[in-house]
Amino acid sequence: MLSYLLEMFRQNSVGIPLITRKVVLYHTANKIAYIPPLTSLFAKIPILNLIVALIFWKPFFAVLFAPGLVCILIAILFIIWFERKVTARVQWRYGPLEVSRNVGGIIQPMADGMRYFFQEVIVHREAHKPYFLQFPLITFLPVLLPILVIPAGTIYAINTPYSILVAIALISLIPMIIVAIGWASNSKYAYVGSLREAMMYFSYEIVLMIAAMSMVIIYGSANAIEIVKEQSTIPGILLNPFAALAFFVAIAMATSRFPFEIPEADQEVVFGPFIEYTGIIFGVVMTLAYEKLYLLCMLFSILFLGGWNGPFIPPLGDLSPALWLFLKTIGLMMIFVFFRTFYARYRLDQALKIGWSKLMALAMVALITGLGLGAVNVMGWL
Amino acid sequence: MKKDVNAENIEFLSSGLIAPIKKWGAKWSLWAVHLVTSCCGVELAHAYASGYDAERWGSLNFGMMRQTNLIIVEGTITKKMARALRITWEQMPDPKFVILIGACGIEGGLFWNSYHITRPWKIIPIDYFVPGCPPTPEGLISAIRALQKKIESGEAKTTAKFRETDLAKLLGTEVGKERKPPKPPLKIAEKPEIKIEPKEVEWEFGKKLIEELKNKMPFAEIFAIDINRIYIKTESKFYEKVAELLESEGFDHVKSLNVIDLPHENKFVVECSVSSYSVEELMPVIVTFSVEIPRDKPRIPSLIRFWPSIDYQEREMHDFFGVWFEGNPWMGNKFLLAPEVETPLRKDFKLEEPSYVLER
Repeated sequence: MLSYLLEMFRQNSVGIPLITRKVVLYHTANKIAYIPPLTSLFAKIPILNLIVALIFWKPFFAVLFAPGLVCILIAILFIIWFERKVTARVQWRYGPLEVSRNVGGIIQPMADGMRYFFQEVIVHREAHKPYFLQFPLITFLPVLLPILVIPAGTIYAINTPYSILVAIALISLIPMIIVAIGWASNSKYAYVGSLREAMMYFSYEIVLMIAAMSMVIIYGSANAIEIVKEQSTIPGILLNPFAALAFFVAIAMATSRFPFEIPEADQEVVFGPFIEYTGIIFGVVMTLAYEKLYLLCMLFSILFLGGWNGPFIPPLGDLSPALWLFLKTIGLMMIFVFFRTFYARYRLDQALKIGWSKLMALAMVALITGLGLGAVNVMGWL
Repeated sequence: MKKDVNAENIEFLSSGLIAPIKKWGAKWSLWAVHLVTSCCGVELAHAYASGYDAERWGSLNFGMMRQTNLIIVEGTITKKMARALRITWEQMPDPKFVILIGACGIEGGLFWNSYHITRPWKIIPIDYFVPGCPPTPEGLISAIRALQKKIESGEAKTTAKFRETDLAKLLGTEVGKERKPPKPPLKIAEKPEIKIEPKEVEWEFGKKLIEELKNKMPFAEIFAIDINRIYIKTESKFYEKVAELLESEGFDHVKSLNVIDLPHENKFVVECSVSSYSVEELMPVIVTFSVEIPRDKPRIPSLIRFWPSIDYQEREMHDFFGVWFEGNPWMGNKFLLAPEVETPLRKDFKLEEPSYVLER
């Protein structure tokens, strides 16, 4: 049984030459001195070899490391620091610095995380207690499930022709949980915040879907691997810039970045749905918007920026495309958080108006362009 | 407060195996929720803006108490605000810290014997005081640094040392004996009165308007006191009648409602100024009408049925002077003041007398 599992894991494991190949130190005429590969250290120990094989099993590796949990964690820690730092630099300040002077205070989010971790968790009397505590943990479901279908090069869990559709459908579940959090908090600001979230949800979601669909029509497939293969010469952003723009604005609305930071506006509704959360649970729900930003930016780079296309780095092996995807995603996220420094906030009615009129028109133009280019692609002229 | 909450917080942070991590996290992440009640808020804004930038030490200025761990109380806390301060403090999750800036928070500062002030350190436990009126941003930042050192080392240290002097020798008084400073010279007028006299002005429309008003209210004394200013003196029984006539004339809103306390004559003067937004010729005109009511039985009909906007002003005057406006549904409820403060603007209201006792 165990050997069967081991064989299954090893057949579909991530190949990273840097740690799975042996490193040759020197070799003379008949002697070779080498460091054995790290993974082979545990190859003969009964249980540990199974664990190591499981870690390097592609579906598990995708969810846990790249593009999954570890990459999300790194991205969030970096992007929160970057957001504070870039805002400070634009305002002629230093931003977080003294916590680690020589690296520009980059470990500041970790200090904040530690502080949240050891703070008291208050559950107020009016809260619907079980739901109030459950929902922040349930949020990991719609955040981590799309990782199963979003591939990073050769690292993927499920190779399905519907990967983009499934990913967007799962990401669309996140606002439901935010609304549920607002209900479970049972406080008036949480209520107003979740109402705003629901309103925003209706104004961007259709645009987001239409923009993604128009790209799917052009490439003739919703499989992310084939979509990236199609973009090896021309990236999607040049094929259909309207769809890219509509998708871009819809991401800003979906993840409540400026100028659409309406559900969580801290000057108006003091963090909206998340107002009653304290301590580590607030730490979990606060990162929700960043996790969503990470997923949508990854989709953006797959649909429009050529995904993991990039120069192959031999020592990294399977990790090389994952690294390119991660870098593109981080670059996009940096653009989105940079909006905080120079945009004001729209009112809810203005945002709804934009979502239902101009953005919708843009999405329609994108869809028509997509249909035209899709027809061209079917004829084989592209 | 029976328990020493400050000590408990520090003890929580410095106990257990992972104490260094706990202390490190709390030290570099003092997110401040600021309670701006007076001018010290400007200094806090400086401290967090470019130039001083307290965010360098990881302290982020935040607007809510559920997700932060530091309250910065800025200045005067009134008796009504004390409740808000206490609620803010109690809603904040432990471990939490408080910095108080400004002289008003320490002993009241400029308002030390005001009828409506309280001392914040009697309401919540405070970690650091920053004296000054207002203190500089450097002062606030050094308090944040001192708090970081307190979290790290576990003991509170003052950052400033003051010279000591022997007060008993300086003031020439004995220890434990109460002493009052000399009273300021008071000039008491025998019979204070407010003179409001007619003035000759060249104002054609005003003359016409006064004639018209005189025809309508023969019981009142009506005259101009300046261009665009008309004064009506009448008796308290005609108060409502005057209001009704002015309202029908086109004066559609109340500019202000005043009560003047004249304890020597045992009366209050109620003064009401009205003007118009709807009739163009009346827009610059302000008509003031006044009545006198007895001080020991201050009751007067409310004008809320003519001008609904007078509601707040009547409630305010009721709070300050105890005048009862009959017909206003909110009479008897405290609007501006804490429940225990009664009629503070009456001239016979007793304030705290300045005095000092040397303690050893």
